[in-house]
Amino acid sequence: MREYEYHAPESFESLVNLASGDGAEVRFLAGGTDLIPRISAEKNQIPYEKKLPMRIIYLGTLGLDKVTEEGERVTIGACCTLSSLLENEIVKTKMPALRDALSEMAGVSIRNTATIGGNIMNASPAADSVPPLLVLDAVCALRSASGERRVSLAEYFTGPGKTVAKPDEVLVSITVKPGPGGSSFKKLGRRKAETLSVVNAAVYLELRDGFCQSARVAVGSAAPTVVRCVDVEQALVGKKIDEGVVREASLLVTKAISPIDDIRSSAWYRARVAPIMVARAVLTAAGRKRG
Amino acid sequence: MSVMSRILKFYLNGNLVHVAAGEADTLLDVLRDGLGLTSPKCGCNHGDCGACTVILNGYSAKSCTILALTAEGKNVWTVDGLANGDKLHPVQRAFHEYGAPQCGYCTPGMVMAAVAFLNHYPSPTESEVKEALSGNLCRCGGYKKYVQAVMAAARGEFGPLPEGSVENV
Repeated sequence: MREYEYHAPESFESLVNLASGDGAEVRFLAGGTDLIPRISAEKNQIPYEKKLPMRIIYLGTLGLDKVTEEGERVTIGACCTLSSLLENEIVKTKMPALRDALSEMAGVSIRNTATIGGNIMNASPAADSVPPLLVLDAVCALRSASGERRVSLAEYFTGPGKTVAKPDEVLVSITVKPGPGGSSFKKLGRRKAETLSVVNAAVYLELRDGFCQSARVAVGSAAPTVVRCVDVEQALVGKKIDEGVVREASLLVTKAISPIDDIRSSAWYRARVAPIMVARAVLTAAGRKRG
Repeated sequence: MSVMSRILKFYLNGNLVHVAAGEADTLLDVLRDGLGLTSPKCGCNHGDCGACTVILNGYSAKSCTILALTAEGKNVWTVDGLANGDKLHPVQRAFHEYGAPQCGYCTPGMVMAAVAFLNHYPSPTESEVKEALSGNLCRCGGYKKYVQAVMAAARGEFGPLPEGSVENV
């Protein structure tokens, strides 16, 4: 059992003062769909464990819920709900992989509450928004008392539930450069809604006359973090994209992943379905080529 | 359960309420234990089952995943606020007439998910309805009739859906 304190700062100045912690464990609250059930479970745990007080700092009053476009860059506020992004015209038209992922995340009511920043900060290897953002070369902006720093999403995760963000740093936005290519996302879950991925994959492809100019492939839920699959990418670049090439290239995904057995699936199964999800994502992305 | 508690003010079914809320209480805790409103059910307390679904600022939300204090000043609707006097909401009537509820445990959440959905998408397809209700589990397995009932309500079989802003259901 521990004490909880709740704060809803309306400016970053007041947030910064709270974020130092003062001997409490600081947790930033966005949508809460992961954090709040965790707190509820902790409260009902027997035997009670003596823990540091928890300071819950709500980010919903800071105006981090906007999507802005500047030149080729699109900046997504960390507190945008999944539903608001799913209906956003920029996301719909320029980031089909992210749109696909959002439409398959949880169910409507959770998507109305959950935020994209929360999905990233939760740092689950199975986070569905991460592979699309990774192939779209997303950059995260972290803010704290010492200012703002930007970290590429590719270097953001250090393990399951772990990121490079320090305890007093808030993820404020994610910036993406959608690029001229096509993108897609495929998820294999145990059922259609309200499920975590067994394996998921996102692909970004640039084609010219059917030949692959550049490719980015990411796979989730098959390693301690979402991983880029460089071998698959290299096997695609320069080739004419057809089913045979894609099937062969997608098998190389096993070089990048290190799946485990858990409650959702076995390592054996994950290693076998990962190439299939990658192949499907590549073919869909190829069909969506722009220009 | 937390040691400190504060006074939370929000609009419940259109009326301003003041209620004591612990700093780590969920909106579901406050509705059930603080206000004695037992229509939202605590099925899984984990955001999976949908039995605690309410309408928060016009959108369906699972109240067990909402920290109560973040609802300050917001509009919360539960199934208790839907009927107009003794006249049931078309979705409630549809559920009743189609015999959709069996044990009834998931029904309040199912009603709220359906009402919020129809407020945003008044003429849905069947697959859209299925998606809208996909976060609400029914262990009696009554999904088919729930979907049929929502489609019937959308067609206007039980009268027009109430006018007014989404905020006010």
